[in-house]
Amino acid sequence: MTGSLDTARRIIADARAQGARTLSEYDSKQVLAAHGVPVTAEHLADDADGAARAAEKIGYPVVLKGNAPDLAHKTEAGLVEVGLADEAALRDAAARLLSKLPAGGGLLVQEMASGKREFLLGMTRDAQYGPCVTFGLGGIFAEALKDTVLRLTPVSETEALSMMDEIRAAALLGPYRGMPEADRDALARAIAGVSAAAVAHPEIAEIDVNPVIVADGGRPVAVDALVVLTSD
Amino acid sequence: MLDAMIRARSIAVIGASQTKNAAGGDKLGTVALNYLLAHRYPGKVYPVNPKEAEIRGMPCFASVADVPDEIDLALIAVPAKASVAVMKDCAAKGVKTAVVLASGFGEAGEPELEADLIAAAKEGGVRFCGPNTNGLISIANDMVCCTSMVCAMDDFKKGDIAFLTQSGAVGGSMLGTGTEEQGGFSHWVSVGNEADLQVADYMDYLVDDPQTRVLALFIEGIRDPDKFTAALAKAAKAGKPVVVYKIGLSEVSAAAAASHTGAMVGSDAVFDAVCRKYGVVRVDDASDLLPTAITFSRLLNKLPQGTRMGVIGPSGGICGVCADECHRFGLDVPELSSAAQETLKQFIPPFGALRNPVDVTQQIRATPTGYQDTIRTVLEQDNIDGVFLLVTMVGEPRASFYCDIFTEAARATDKPVIIGWTGAQSLAAQAIPQLKKNQMPIYFSARGAVKAMRALLDYRRFLDARAEDGQ
Repeated sequence: MTGSLDTARRIIADARAQGARTLSEYDSKQVLAAHGVPVTAEHLADDADGAARAAEKIGYPVVLKGNAPDLAHKTEAGLVEVGLADEAALRDAAARLLSKLPAGGGLLVQEMASGKREFLLGMTRDAQYGPCVTFGLGGIFAEALKDTVLRLTPVSETEALSMMDEIRAAALLGPYRGMPEADRDALARAIAGVSAAAVAHPEIAEIDVNPVIVADGGRPVAVDALVVLTSD
Repeated sequence: MLDAMIRARSIAVIGASQTKNAAGGDKLGTVALNYLLAHRYPGKVYPVNPKEAEIRGMPCFASVADVPDEIDLALIAVPAKASVAVMKDCAAKGVKTAVVLASGFGEAGEPELEADLIAAAKEGGVRFCGPNTNGLISIANDMVCCTSMVCAMDDFKKGDIAFLTQSGAVGGSMLGTGTEEQGGFSHWVSVGNEADLQVADYMDYLVDDPQTRVLALFIEGIRDPDKFTAALAKAAKAGKPVVVYKIGLSEVSAAAAASHTGAMVGSDAVFDAVCRKYGVVRVDDASDLLPTAITFSRLLNKLPQGTRMGVIGPSGGICGVCADECHRFGLDVPELSSAAQETLKQFIPPFGALRNPVDVTQQIRATPTGYQDTIRTVLEQDNIDGVFLLVTMVGEPRASFYCDIFTEAARATDKPVIIGWTGAQSLAAQAIPQLKKNQMPIYFSARGAVKAMRALLDYRRFLDARAEDGQ
């Protein structure tokens, strides 16, 4: 695990103390990473200089995003710039984003994970049967195709593997049109990780991880994530 | 507690009357009493009605308090408002359980009246079914406490299927058609408003009931999900399959969701996940509910060990249909060994097919034992986990010959055999009823037969996985 459970607990407690309904993307990923969900390499920055230093560590090309709690629809708000190939492009993008960011927001510099296959992971709490974990086809067509499977928690890695076989687009996980087979075990750990996060943190109402990109070598990586907190 | 209800030794029928209702028909209590007597209830029956001295030759008591005996079950067949007072009488008398038939409670916008009923029962520790129910039938105990028209059937067949329904009307219809299919039942409960006893309470009891091996549920919603899942877990542990049809697919998930996942997840997907977790056999067609339960009852000791099916029929066409359905539902139709095909060659005319599917051709009629020998040979193969016997057009007396040899073959094997009879039923007027009486699993399409086999296999795999997990 890249983060620790204590970190996850602290992030959630802080956000609740500040009255936030959703965690920032960065905090959402920290929480999920603490439970074994593989996330993009990324760093926070306050300004263009900080962003440039972070990008050096990650390696170009990078993605630059606005980062703040309660910040949904980043793409629509013009707060996502992808494929920044060098420092000049990064500094231009940083200037644009800083002018649009809400007060208290920061910059998030992250690795540019590339892959054509996109999946989603999610968690919801059913009023009757409790937390449920969803796995399915992700990306922008997710809601149109609704190719998902759902399980009650806790979801073990074995159970997670069976979920992958059940989506209609299961073939996308195999070797596909010259792309390597997805790392199913890593994906199973990610699904089980979302389940573990739901069990460990009753303060989390919903989780959305979309997309999880099957990147180079078949490794799954969560590119965007949203953790929604309970309102009570 | 439920023993007193399901195995009542004494029943008070409250509200039976010699006078007719406004439409000239029998009152609810009279209907119930008539059915109770018609089905030869062996326990003691006490009619209660302050306005009558005698009903059906039995003395009638003014109040349940006057009955000089302990009462296990009170069948309360008076209007909603009067039911509360009667329940108070029952509580004071120490009646153990009750069925409250009347409607006009919570379901009709009278939640206070329902609360009063619950309070009255609680006062004396009376556990009750309903209100707004058609009652219950313990087929195993010849006890019909029910007003559904289904009780006009001469007899129910005793067996091991317990049927719980949240719709008395649908449940009555299904019990009727299931009985026509020669399904055997242990108990039938129309649970009504579940003001006291809920579906899960009956399930909990029935899983322990030695007369019940299969549970069939027609449900709309679950009141207490924890109790429900606990009962499902208990059924899984006991190896008693629960077959469910649930309405409400079209309901929109009520919860407001902030995430995209939340917007995509419907309550039906969650119920599906519940079913999966507990090995529930969920059918997606209401008309499959009882046929599936009946098939489970017939084949519970012969669940298929794997996906490999033998397909035997009299035509290449029907064999192809069945093989396609196997493919659709993830069952295999493996090629038989060359030794097996050599054996079959002795029984089947030369233009038949031996590989599997096995086309015995219509000319098999010309051989005295070719059909029997073929079925037996296929069932004996190590690479066959179950067999479909397909029938096209056949009339009597040949149809009855099929009935006999299919039954004999199925009884002689520990592998599941399911019949797909696709020809006109009117020409097999003796054979088809007899197959049902013989408790042979029979469907009238290849798909029906294959879907049933698939459900049996899924349940078998669920039990195997549980055993592997050491549960």
